[in-house]
Amino acid sequence: MMDALVADQKEKTLRKEDSEAIIEIVHLQKSFGDNHVLTDFNLSIRKGENVVVLGKSGCGKSVLIKCIVGLLEYDDGSLKVFGKEISELPHPDLDEMRARIGFVFQSSALYDSMTVKENLEFALRRHGKHKSKEEVKGLVEETLTNVGLLHAIDLMPLELSGGMRKRIGLARAVILKPEIILYDEPTTGLDPITAKEISYLMLDMQKKYNISSIIISHDMHCARLTANRLVVMIDGINYAQGTFDELKKSSDPEVQAFFETDEL
Amino acid sequence: MQKKDQQIFPSSKNKNSEPGWIAILSKSMQDFFNEAGEVSKFAGRFFKEFLFPPYEFREILRQSYEIGYRSLPLVGITAFIIGLVITLQSRPTLVEFGAEAWLPQMVGVSIIREIGPVIIALICAGKIGSSIGAELGSMKVTEQIDAMEVGGTNPFKYIVVSRIVSTTLMIPLLIIIGDTIALYGSYLAVNVKGSVSLVFFFDQVFQAITFSDFIPAFVKSFFFGFAIGLIGCYKGYNSKKGTEGVGRSANSSVVVASVLVFIIDLMAVQITQFFGFI
Repeated sequence: MMDALVADQKEKTLRKEDSEAIIEIVHLQKSFGDNHVLTDFNLSIRKGENVVVLGKSGCGKSVLIKCIVGLLEYDDGSLKVFGKEISELPHPDLDEMRARIGFVFQSSALYDSMTVKENLEFALRRHGKHKSKEEVKGLVEETLTNVGLLHAIDLMPLELSGGMRKRIGLARAVILKPEIILYDEPTTGLDPITAKEISYLMLDMQKKYNISSIIISHDMHCARLTANRLVVMIDGINYAQGTFDELKKSSDPEVQAFFETDEL
Repeated sequence: MQKKDQQIFPSSKNKNSEPGWIAILSKSMQDFFNEAGEVSKFAGRFFKEFLFPPYEFREILRQSYEIGYRSLPLVGITAFIIGLVITLQSRPTLVEFGAEAWLPQMVGVSIIREIGPVIIALICAGKIGSSIGAELGSMKVTEQIDAMEVGGTNPFKYIVVSRIVSTTLMIPLLIIIGDTIALYGSYLAVNVKGSVSLVFFFDQVFQAITFSDFIPAFVKSFFFGFAIGLIGCYKGYNSKKGTEGVGRSANSSVVVASVLVFIIDLMAVQITQFFGFI
C-alpha cells in the first residue's frame, strides 16, 4: 500500500546529511470536537527544503501550518520548530519565533486600512529590527522590487489584483528575512500564468534567502515546480511522501488520484 | 379540512410532543448567560491588556480620529435637530401655562441631563458600533487578525484595546459637543416666535443647570462609550466565518450596544437618585 513511498525510507533518500531539521513533527493530533483532523502526523523539514503538502479540501493541511505557527493549539504529539516545542513556549518567545517564520495566507490577508508600503512596514516596526526610517524605506523598496511591484507601493490592497495581492503577501512574509515560510494555497484562484509566476517567485525566494518552506497546495503545476519533496496527507496522517516523479509513478490509487486530475 | 390544516401548519400536528416554550425559554436563557459570561471575559481581557505595556498610542490616536472626528457631522446634525424640535414642541405646552420664559431652562436641563447623552449614545451605537463590528468581523473573516498575530503583534491590544479606549474617550466628547449644538438649535427655535439674544438664552440655560445635572450625565457618557466599543469589538472579534457572519456582527453590535445604553442609563438614574443628585 505505502510501497516505496513509506515515510521513513524516503526520509533516508531525501535527507541532506549536512542540513539540520528545523521543523520536527511527531505523532501530531488535532481535533475539533468529534472531527479528528490530524490523527498521527509526522514530518521533518530541513534547512533550505521546500515541502509541498497535498491533500483533499478539509483534510487538515491548513490546520497543520496553523499549529506550526501557534495559531492553533494541538491536542497531542510533538511539534518542534528550531528545536523548541511550540506548545511550551511562553508568548514573548512565541512572538520571537514567529519573526523567524513567514506566513502567506490563502486570502493574502493584507491589512485593508493600510497601503502596500504600510503593510510591509507594519511587521518591521513591530520587531524593531530596522529602526531608522531610511533603513525601513530601503528594505520595503528592495522587497517590493524583488516581487516586481515597486510601482504599487502607495496603492491600497483593494486596488490590487489577485496575483498582486499574493505577491504583496509574499513580500510581507519575506521582509523580516524569515528562515521558514508557510504558504497556504499560494496559487489558488489565480490564472495559470500568474500561478506559474508565483511559483517561480517562491523558488526565487528560497534560493535568494535559503528559506525552508511548507507549501499547502492542490496545484500540481506549483508542486512540480517548487517541491523538493511532496507529502500526501490523507485521514490526518502523512500517507505518502517522495519527490514529484516518485509519487507520480506510485501505483497507490489514493496517490495517483492527485496526478490524474492534472495532465502533466 | 384537518389534513389541509396540517399541511399549512405542520407544527400543529405534534403540538404535545414538541419541547414547548419552556425548553425554548430555557435554551434562550442559557444562551443569554453564556454570551454575558463571554462578554465579561472579553472585558476582563481588555483591562488586563490595557493596563500593561506596550501601549498602542498611535493606533489609539488614529482610532480617536476615525471614531470622534468622523462621527461629528452626524452627531452635530442630529443634535441640532433634536434641540430645535424639542423646543418647538415644548413651546405650546409652556405657553398654555404662561411659562414660556422657562423654555431655555427646561430645554437646557433636558438636553444636558438626559436627551443629549442618550440620543447621541444611540446614534454612536448605530454608527460606531456597526462600523467596529463590521470592520473587525471582516478582518477576522479575511484572516487579517491571524496575519497580525503571526506577524508578532498582539491583535487584541492593537485592534480591540485601541478601539475601546477611543470610544470611551471620544463619545463623552461627542456628547458635550452635541449638547452644545442642540442648545444652539434650541436657541434658533426660541427665536422662531420670539426674540431672545444668544447671551440671554445661554444665561438662562446656565442658571438652570447645576453640577449635579452635568456631572452624572458626563460620567455615564464614559460608560456609554465603553459599552459601545466593547460590544462592537466583541461581536466583530468573535464573528463567525463568512460574509453572513460579518453582517450579523454589525447588526448585533448595534442592537446589543443600544440596549446596553438604556440599561446603563437606567442604572445611572438609580445611582444618582441614591446619592441625592435628583
